[in-house]
Amino acid sequence: MPPSRPPRDHRPRHAPLPSSAVSAFIRPARLDALLAPWMPDAEERAFVVRCIVGEGPIHHRGASYALLCLLGLLLEELGPDEGGAPRGESLPVPIRLPPHLARGSDHDYPLAIPLAPLTRLAPEGSPKLAALVDCLTDGPPHHALANAAMVCLLDALFARAARARAGVEPA
Amino acid sequence: MALPPALGQAFRMVAAELGMRSAARLFLRELMGEGGAPLVREARDKLGREFPVLDFVAEQWLSGRAEAPLDPAGVLDALRGVTRLLVVGLEADALDVLVPRLSGVEAGLVTDAGGLDPDFRRVLANYDGLMEPVGLSELHRWAGRRSALLTFVYGTDGHAAHVSPSWLRVSGPDVRTQFRSLIGWDILGQPMTVYPRWMVETCAGDFSCLVGPAPPAPEAAAGAGQPRAPAPAREAT
Repeated sequence: MPPSRPPRDHRPRHAPLPSSAVSAFIRPARLDALLAPWMPDAEERAFVVRCIVGEGPIHHRGASYALLCLLGLLLEELGPDEGGAPRGESLPVPIRLPPHLARGSDHDYPLAIPLAPLTRLAPEGSPKLAALVDCLTDGPPHHALANAAMVCLLDALFARAARARAGVEPA
Repeated sequence: MALPPALGQAFRMVAAELGMRSAARLFLRELMGEGGAPLVREARDKLGREFPVLDFVAEQWLSGRAEAPLDPAGVLDALRGVTRLLVVGLEADALDVLVPRLSGVEAGLVTDAGGLDPDFRRVLANYDGLMEPVGLSELHRWAGRRSALLTFVYGTDGHAAHVSPSWLRVSGPDVRTQFRSLIGWDILGQPMTVYPRWMVETCAGDFSCLVGPAPPAPEAAAGAGQPRAPAPAREAT
């Protein structure tokens, strides 16, 4: 006798939530404040925030918002920042344009990706590091800029952790 | 004076090279001068359904409501830090007050007329080299972190906004993330009252900055209720 099939699940399948449910929790002003240490210019910041939570598929907007806010909350948990945004080496996030139409020097987004956190995964100046940067900054702008923003916040978190460790280590 | 028989045809040709609002003001000013409010009313009755911006402007004038002044201050404010401005759509009156004030900003005009077919060489000749023609295939050349797109909005209720069809061709998802600012300049101040043919509806949220008209001057508001001739204004050229 063949094994019996599992009973069919007749419960209603999970339906995707409407876009409005995602839009309702996104607060661009919160990201704006979070990214201010890296982009002092309000207009440039508004551009980047719009690209992250105002453009692209709605689930990406919500996901990027959630992850960036969580990183921001973790920073807050660690107490007030005394050092500001880390000022290490960074690379630009390029605006992807057809090469023959690119001109001038302003074809990069105003938010750059810091290298310090990535050197924990690949040596400075190595092809591996270049590949990491390429992966994080390629693709649609809502991806690339959310990636860069996350690496900025991770950079700040690592800097805080280093300061905290230095504070508890015996002199 | 009777309404000229080919007025609609003439209006369409002029609107192609000046923009609907600018042409409407020009024609209505002439009609008001020739035959006063009755002639303007007749023109609205005859042409209003076909040319809703003309209908809107005529209604404003006939009801004596203050017309939204074209003040570029809000646009100039939105352009702070911008070095390249690409204009989508054509409104000569608005460009006449804006373009000469664009200090240090390279300006271009997208040569997609959204259904009308102007001679862009003639249009741009009015700006004495201050604006250059930009084809759709060259859009990306104007992109950048200090670049802005601007189009004219023909009234909004806060949700829907009416724009030239060219705006929808230009402001696709790729382009939106390549320009720092997406500016809508509302040059009517209120939604049109008849079906806005020639225009398309978009979402007011499409713009990173929606600049409304300046509030009417007190003397203009005081004249409400009386048919009136428009205040002297720059002629569309």
